[in-house]
Amino acid sequence: MSEPNSPEGRWPGGARCAVVVSVDFDAELPLLASSPDAVRRAKTLSVGRYGATRGVDRLLRTFAELGVLATWFVPGRQAENHPGLVREIARAGHEIANHGHAHENFDLLDLAGQRAVVERGNDALAEIVGHRPRGFRIPEGEWAPGLPDALRQLGFTWSSSLRGDDLPHLHPAGAGASGRLVEIPVHHELEDHPYFFFNLDPAFPAGQSRIASYREVLGNWTTEFTAYRRFGLCYVLRLQPEVTGTPGRIALVRELLTHIRGHDDVWIATAGEVADWWSATHEGNAPDHPSEVFARLTQGTS
Amino acid sequence: MTTTDPDAAEGFWPAGHQSAVALAFDLDGPTGDAMLNGSIWRKPSYFALGAYGPHRALPRILDLLDEAGVPATFFTPAWVVETWPEACRAVVERGHEMAHHGYQHERYWDLAPEQQAEVIARSQRIFREVLGASAVGFRTPSGDWHPETPRLLVEAGFAYSSSMRGDDRPYLHEIDGRATSLVEIPARWDLDDYASLAYTRNPDYPAGQDRIASYELTLDNWMREFDGHHAEGLCMTTLFHPKVSGKPGRLLLLERLLGHMRAAGGVWFATCREVAEWWSRPEVPTVLQGAGRDV
Repeated sequence: MSEPNSPEGRWPGGARCAVVVSVDFDAELPLLASSPDAVRRAKTLSVGRYGATRGVDRLLRTFAELGVLATWFVPGRQAENHPGLVREIARAGHEIANHGHAHENFDLLDLAGQRAVVERGNDALAEIVGHRPRGFRIPEGEWAPGLPDALRQLGFTWSSSLRGDDLPHLHPAGAGASGRLVEIPVHHELEDHPYFFFNLDPAFPAGQSRIASYREVLGNWTTEFTAYRRFGLCYVLRLQPEVTGTPGRIALVRELLTHIRGHDDVWIATAGEVADWWSATHEGNAPDHPSEVFARLTQGTS
Repeated sequence: MTTTDPDAAEGFWPAGHQSAVALAFDLDGPTGDAMLNGSIWRKPSYFALGAYGPHRALPRILDLLDEAGVPATFFTPAWVVETWPEACRAVVERGHEMAHHGYQHERYWDLAPEQQAEVIARSQRIFREVLGASAVGFRTPSGDWHPETPRLLVEAGFAYSSSMRGDDRPYLHEIDGRATSLVEIPARWDLDDYASLAYTRNPDYPAGQDRIASYELTLDNWMREFDGHHAEGLCMTTLFHPKVSGKPGRLLLLERLLGHMRAAGGVWFATCREVAEWWSRPEVPTVLQGAGRDV
């Protein structure tokens, strides 16, 4: 097969698997981006704003307690609205990455529009943390053909946007592109939002599903970790401060990370570190890798 | 056979076996509605979610099946066979069955009979070219088949279908009141991993954005289904999808399910084709073959 079944040598220092803890500092921005009238809905907005008011601090305390450095995806507007909080995240040693400007839905933007919000987010982040990020995560939707090359031109070396694979891969580059963008894929089952996010009106989930069992979600995350370690993969946990930075759910984060740290053969790294390692150890993808197949079938770049 | 009479199950399965398990996967890859309407070519992430099945999950599932010594049937759209030929040839080389599941996961309900025949002919040609043999089994992709579909399947020489939900034993399909040679191996939604574990956004699945279920409780459901099928001497098949239950943590559930079934003892693990062949033996009385049930 395209990747050896044995994870030997796949990760630095003889580690069996890689673990990336990532946080999307979204707060109320997805609500504002998806419902134009949300600006007048104080109660709904407060569901998201809880992330900035309470959740970020609680996640930062927990990460500090456990000695875990995470990758934070920060929409530029959060840097404008909460400069102190964003500086605090950066000062604690966490990695700061681009997440658009106002959590835009990329399905509604063309390539130029997508590039513009990435640049605007970069400007806002650079102003507060003093440097431009090297990593990007799409806020919502899919990217237009050519965005990976545009990201490279803007100085990005990696993305953590696509779903599907459980190992990093390289994005096929268009003609004249400088190098290949590393992708560090994400997974719904390793995110907090699909299990826990709830709002009565406007309804999320649309079908008003129950909030999932905390204990069972911790079980899913732990089972996945066991398997990622067994198969030598790249585990990407994706949290939102307004979802798991809460008094009841922070214990799940603490318990999971304590369990992961209890293994001495796990490489806990930022997404940037994983991307650096992957691009240093890989020239390309297997020819039948989904990103290569997609590029061939669309006769362009992904 | 009544559901509480264990004696009635005797003789259903090859000697010494109490029940049959025809483990089956729908190896859909990225085929389906988004490919049929072309929208997938603007959705690299959605494409990757589907492509995960043949590219990443399938080899690990084959390893798991090897370790357990259990054969399986993979209902595979021919587009996937064309796109990942080596991965699909490995299925056959490692002793499993590849079977028909449309070209791009078409809804047979939506197609005129001549269009259905085209999908079948095109897919069978690809199976012959890439895998060396036509499919003998058929599982209808998304939704219902067309009233004319069973006739087309008989004409095209299919030995069996695994498309219906209305029984927990195989039976023979009937057309115009007459039994045909087409065996049905019915499946149950209770053993479809989509019903508990699949999750996508835009397009949303589930449509109401319901949660991903607990892995432990899902495995508990599946094991209880097996326990019931085994106790009553029935034929259990599954609607598992490599892109859903071949994800790393879920492979551990499959591994435990296989271990649970093997530990029960007396299970005939077979491909769907083998079950259909067994059911078609002339010595199986027509009353047991249950011709025409639910058609």
